[in-house]
Amino acid sequence: MGAFNTPERPQVFSGPPLLLVLVVILFCIFGIRLWYLQIYKHDFYLGRAQENRTRQSTMFSPRGIIRDRTGLLLAENTPAYALALVREDCPDIPGTLDQISRWTGQPRDDLQKAFEIGRKRVKHFDEQVIVPNIPFELVALVEAHRQDWPGLAIAVRPKRSYAYDETLAHVLGYVARANEEELNNDPDLQLGDNVGKQGVELMLERMLRGTKGLEEFEVDASGRVLSSRVVSSPVMGEDLDLSISLSLQEVATKALNDRAGSVVAMDADTGEVLALVSLPSYDPNEFVVGISHAKWKELLDDPLHPLQNRPVQSTYPPGSIFKLAVGALGLESGTVTPAKTVFCSGKYTLGQRDFRCWNKGGHGVVDFKKSLRESCDVYYYQLGEQLGVEAISDFSVKCGFGVRTGIELPHERTGNMPTPEWKFKRFGEKWQRGETLNYSIGQGFTLTTPLQAARFVAALVNGGKILRPTLLLSEEPDVQGELPMSPAVRKLVVDAMVATVEEERGTARILRRPGLRIGGKTGTAQVVKLMDKYEKKKTHEIPYKYRDHAWMVSFGEKDGKRFVVVSMVEHGGHGSSDAGPVAGAVLDALLGVQTEGGQEG
Amino acid sequence: MFDRRLVFHINWGLLTLTAILFLVGVMNLYSASTLRMASGLELDAYFNKQLLWGGVGLCVMTAVVLVDYRHLKSVSWPFFILCLLLLLGVVVAGKTIYGAKRWLDLGFFNLQPTELTKIAVLILGARLMTRMEGRLGWVSLGKILLVGLVPAAFVVKQPDLGSALNILLILGGMILFKGVTSSVFKVLAVVIPVMLPFGWFLLHDYQKQRILTFLDPGNDPLGAGYHIIQSQIAIGSGGFWGKGFLEGTQSQLRFLPEKHTDFAFAVFGEEWGFFGAMVLLILFCSFLYQVYIVTMEAKDDFGSYLAAGVFFYFFWQILINIGMVLGIMPVVGIPLPFISYGGSASVVNFCMIGLVMNVAMRRFVFKKG
Repeated sequence: MGAFNTPERPQVFSGPPLLLVLVVILFCIFGIRLWYLQIYKHDFYLGRAQENRTRQSTMFSPRGIIRDRTGLLLAENTPAYALALVREDCPDIPGTLDQISRWTGQPRDDLQKAFEIGRKRVKHFDEQVIVPNIPFELVALVEAHRQDWPGLAIAVRPKRSYAYDETLAHVLGYVARANEEELNNDPDLQLGDNVGKQGVELMLERMLRGTKGLEEFEVDASGRVLSSRVVSSPVMGEDLDLSISLSLQEVATKALNDRAGSVVAMDADTGEVLALVSLPSYDPNEFVVGISHAKWKELLDDPLHPLQNRPVQSTYPPGSIFKLAVGALGLESGTVTPAKTVFCSGKYTLGQRDFRCWNKGGHGVVDFKKSLRESCDVYYYQLGEQLGVEAISDFSVKCGFGVRTGIELPHERTGNMPTPEWKFKRFGEKWQRGETLNYSIGQGFTLTTPLQAARFVAALVNGGKILRPTLLLSEEPDVQGELPMSPAVRKLVVDAMVATVEEERGTARILRRPGLRIGGKTGTAQVVKLMDKYEKKKTHEIPYKYRDHAWMVSFGEKDGKRFVVVSMVEHGGHGSSDAGPVAGAVLDALLGVQTEGGQEG
Repeated sequence: MFDRRLVFHINWGLLTLTAILFLVGVMNLYSASTLRMASGLELDAYFNKQLLWGGVGLCVMTAVVLVDYRHLKSVSWPFFILCLLLLLGVVVAGKTIYGAKRWLDLGFFNLQPTELTKIAVLILGARLMTRMEGRLGWVSLGKILLVGLVPAAFVVKQPDLGSALNILLILGGMILFKGVTSSVFKVLAVVIPVMLPFGWFLLHDYQKQRILTFLDPGNDPLGAGYHIIQSQIAIGSGGFWGKGFLEGTQSQLRFLPEKHTDFAFAVFGEEWGFFGAMVLLILFCSFLYQVYIVTMEAKDDFGSYLAAGVFFYFFWQILINIGMVLGIMPVVGIPLPFISYGGSASVVNFCMIGLVMNVAMRRFVFKKG
C-alpha cells in the first residue's frame, strides 16, 4: 500500500477497462430499447394510451313512434329501468349476482346464464343489462346501496308501449329482446336491445330503429370521468304514419264480435289499408317485457291461433267470390256473352256424377248478371267446363289470386291456384274433370288470402290497376299490374256486384244502403265436403270445425272515393248472413266518415 | 483538518452532473406529483419533500467530503457492526409499512437501516480488498462475500429483495473490479448459471410472480403485468419529442403506477420523449464516467475501491430500474437515483457522491508523515 503519484490500478481484463465497458453497454442497451419503444413502436403505444384513457359509451336512439292516419299515437316509447353490470368496475361479480338474485327473486342460475351469454358481446366498460325492466321500487333500493355494490348500474332504456293492446297487434306486431341469431346478423345490435319481431315493427325495423350515437369519456385509471364529448349523435328513428284508421279498426274489430276471422278495408285508388283486423288477437305489450312461459304456451296452444295474422297468413278457398274472376274470364274470352243464358235445374251432370247448385230448386234461366247476383253454381260449372283449368288458373293469377300482395307485413302466404301439373307434382295424381267444376266455384285446392281478394276487388273498381296494399300513409300508389280484362267486361262485373246488393234476390242485399252505390259478392268456402248427415242442418247445428268459411267482398263509393271491404269469418257459415253484417258495419263507418267529411285531409 | 487547497481539486464535473440530475429529478417529480382531476390539475407534496431531502443530502455530502476518506478505514468495522445491530432492531421492533418491516421509528423520523448498510458494506468491502494482494482467491472471496451475505440475509427477510440484491451486487461489482484468480473465475462461470434455478425456490410467491409476469406480461394484464404494460405504454406513447412537460396523460390519469418512485423514468419518457430520455441517459453515463475516472485516478487502492463501490451502487440501480421501466428486466423495487422520490435514498446518494468526491479531491495528497 504505497502512495502513488501516477495511479496505476490493477486491470481484470486486458483491453478497455471493465467500468468503461459497462457504461457503454448500458448506454447501448437502453438507447436501442428507447428507440424501439418511442420511435419504432410509437404508433402502437400511442393507440394503447388512447385506449387507456378513453371509454366509449353508446347513446341510445329512441325508436320512431307509430301513429294512425289521424295522428293518434299507436306505439310510443316510455322510459324503463334495467339493472346492469359494468364488469370492469365490479370486483365481486358472483357476489353481486347473488345480491341481484336476492333483490329481484330471479334464480341465481338464470342470472349467471344471462351474464355468461352477454359478457362476450359487451364492450369493455359498457353496461351489460342483466335484468331488463325492473320496477321503480327496486331502482330506489339499488340506488340506495350503490356504494356497497360497485359496478352495478341502473340503465335507462326506452321501452316500447302499445296504446291499444290487442286492437292493432297484427298490424304493429311488437318488439322484443334481440335473440342470438339477430345479434349475430346485425352488428348494430347490442345485447339487451329490442328489435321488431312481428308486424310493421319487424318489416320497417330499419326505418324505425334509428342510429345509435357514441360518446367518448376521458377517464383516469380508477374510471373517474374527467371530460366527455359526443363522437356521433344518436339519430332518432323515423316516425311512421300508418294508413290505418284506429276508429275504423275498432269498428271492424267490434263487428267481428269475437269470432275468428279477418276484415280488410282498403282505399281502392291508393292501396292504403284503412283497417286490417285479425281475430283472435293478443297483447303485444306482453312480448316487450318478455312474455312468460305459461302465457306463451297458452297462445301457442289456443286452437284459434291468436298469433296467426289471418288477412295475410291464412289461406282459404275463395268460394263464390271466385265467380267474379271466372265470369270475367268467360266474357273476356268470348265464351259467354252477357245475354247468353244457361238453364239451372239445381244440378249439373258430368258423366256419372251430379254437381249440385246451392239452390236445389234451380235458378231457371240464368244470364251473366243473374249468375253473379244469385251466385248460380250451375252457370259456372258449365262455364268452367268450357274454359278449362289452365285458362282459369292463368287468368286468376293475373287477377292477383295466389300471388303475394307485398304489404308491409311478415310471413305473407301465397295461396294456390291449382293446375294439373301442380296436382301431379303434389299428389302424383291426374287432374279430374270434376275438379275443374269445383275450381270454377272457388272450392277444392283453390286458396287465397283475404288481402288478395281485397286487392282484386279494388282493381275492379279503380279502373283495373292492381295496387300493392300498403300500411303507410301518403305512399305513391304502387301499381303491380293491370287486371286482364277490358273496361267493358270490368263494368259488367262491377254492375253485377251492385245488382247483387241492390236487386231482388241478390245474395248481398244485406249491404244495401239507400242512396249509396255499394257492390258485393258473397262466398261460402267449404272446409270439408259436407257429410250427408250435416247437409240439411242449419249452420249452428253443425260442429264448429266443419262449418263453412263465410266471405263477403264489397266496395262502396261516396263522393268519388272508393273503398273496398273484405270480411271473412272462419267457420262462419254463410257469406251473406255471417260475413255480410261485418262488411256492412265497416262500410257504414267508412261512408259515414265521408259524409261528415274532413277527416281524410 | 481541512486543507483549503483541496477546494481547487473538487471534481466540478461530477458535482455539476449531480446537480443537473437532481434538478431534472425534482422537475420530473413536479410533473409526476400532478394528478388531473375533473376540476383541473392537483399537486401532491412529493416534489417539495424531495427538495428538502436534497438539502439534507447536500449537508451530508459536505460532511462526508470534509473528513479524509482514509479515516474511514478505522471506523469500517464498528460502522458495519452498528448497521447489523440496527438491522436486528428492525427484525425485533421494526415498523411495518405496506406489509414490509423496513423502518426503525426513532421518534423524529423513520430510519431505514438498509440504506446505511449499503454504505457500511461498501466501506468494509473496500477496506478488506485493500489488504488483499493481487487477484482474489477462494479464501479472500469468501471473506468478502460474507460481509455482503450476512446483512443481505437480514434485508431479504424484511422483505426487501431489491436492497438485498443491491448490497450483493455492489460487492459483486467490486469483486469484478478487483479481479479474481483464473481458477475462481472458471468455477464461478460454471457454478453461478447452474445455481440460478435453485435460487427460484428461495423467492417469495410474489417475487416468483413478478418474474413470470416479466416473461409474459399479457398473462395478467390488470394484475401483476399491469406495471410493465403501463410503463411501456407511457414511454412508447411519448414518441420522439414527448408530450411536453405536465402533458403526460398516462401518469396524470394514474394509469402509471408508482409514478413518483420506481416508475418516475416512465413519466420522464412520456413527457420528454426519445430526445429527453436519451439526454437523461447521456447524463447518467457521463456521471458514471466521472466516477470511473475517479477509480482510475485515486491516490491509493482504498480510494479506488471505494469509488468502484460507488460506481456499482449507481450502475446497478440505473440498470435495474430503467431496465424494469423499459420492460427488459423483471419488476424489482429499486429506485432510479435522483429521479425517483425517496428520502433515505436521496441522502445515501449524496453521501455516496460525497465519498467519491472525497477520494477525487485528495488524489494528489501525500500520505501524512
